Amino acid sequence: MTWILRTGLAAAFALAAAPVFAHHGWSGQEEKVSDMTGTVVQGVSLAGPHATMKIKVKDEVWDVTLAPPARTARSGLKEGLIPIGDTVTVRGNRSTEPGRHEMKTIYVRHGKDEFHVYPDRE
Amino acid sequence: MSLAHFFAWLEHSWLGASVRSLGVWSYGVINLVHILGIILLFGSILILDLRLLGAWRQIPLATLSQPTTRMAQIGFVLAVASGIPMLSVKTTDYIGNPFLLIKFPAIALALLNVWLVHRTVAWQAHRERDLQPVEQRRLAQGAVLSLTFWLTAITSGRMIGYW
Repeated sequence: MTWILRTGLAAAFALAAAPVFAHHGWSGQEEKVSDMTGTVVQGVSLAGPHATMKIKVKDEVWDVTLAPPARTARSGLKEGLIPIGDTVTVRGNRSTEPGRHEMKTIYVRHGKDEFHVYPDRE
Repeated sequence: MSLAHFFAWLEHSWLGASVRSLGVWSYGVINLVHILGIILLFGSILILDLRLLGAWRQIPLATLSQPTTRMAQIGFVLAVASGIPMLSVKTTDYIGNPFLLIKFPAIALALLNVWLVHRTVAWQAHRERDLQPVEQRRLAQGAVLSLTFWLTAITSGRMIGYW
C-alpha cells in the first residue's frame, strides 16, 4: 500500500513538474526573429508577470509582450516614456497560433531611443 | 454578468489599479505569497491525506489532524489573499484560458469535499475514539478525492501562465 502510494505520488509530481522546463524556451512562438512598425495604442505597462504594450500595425492590434517588469525597466523602458500614438519598431518572435497577434519582444526602437529588452536573444 | 464582464470589472477595479501601481517587483512578491500559501496548504493536506490513506499509523490521527487542518486553513487564506490581486493586474488576459476554467471548479470541488468529510461521523469522532475500519475507509475515500482535486487545482493553476 505504502509502496503504491509512494510511486503514484512521485509519478504525479513528475508529470506536474515536466512542462515547467518549457518555460524559458519560447514555445508557441516562431523561431524566426522579425520586425514590425506600428503606432502605440496602449503604452508600456510594468505590471504583471511580463511588461506589455499594444501597437497597431496596419489594421491589427498586436500584443507586445516584453520581459518581466524589473528587467524591462532596466533596459530603460519605463511607463509613460512612449506616448500613445507614437511610432515604434519592435523586434521579436511572433506567435505561431493563427489569429493570435502577439510578439515576444526582444528589442524596441522609439525614434532615436533603443531598448534592448533581451540583448542575449538579438 | 458574464465571466468576461466580471474580468473586465476586476481589472478596472480599485484593487487592479492599486496593484499595478505598486512597482516592478510587486507581482513577484505577491506571487511569492501565493506560492507560500500553496506550500502551506498542500504540504499540510498531503501529510493528513497520506495518514488517512494508511501512512504513519503509529501517529494518532487526532495528533496530526489538528496542526495540519490549521496550517491548511492559513495556507488557503494566503493563497486567496494573494491570488485575487494577481488576477486583478491583467484579468482580461485570462479570458479564454482553459486552465483557469479547470482550476476554479477544482477548488470548488476540493472545498466541497472538505465540507463533506468534516460532516462525517468518522471525522467528528476521530478525536474521541479509535475509528472502525469502515470509518477509516470513508476518510480514505475523502483523502483520495482531496489529493485529486487539490493536485488538479495546483497543476492547472501553474499551467495558466503557459497557455
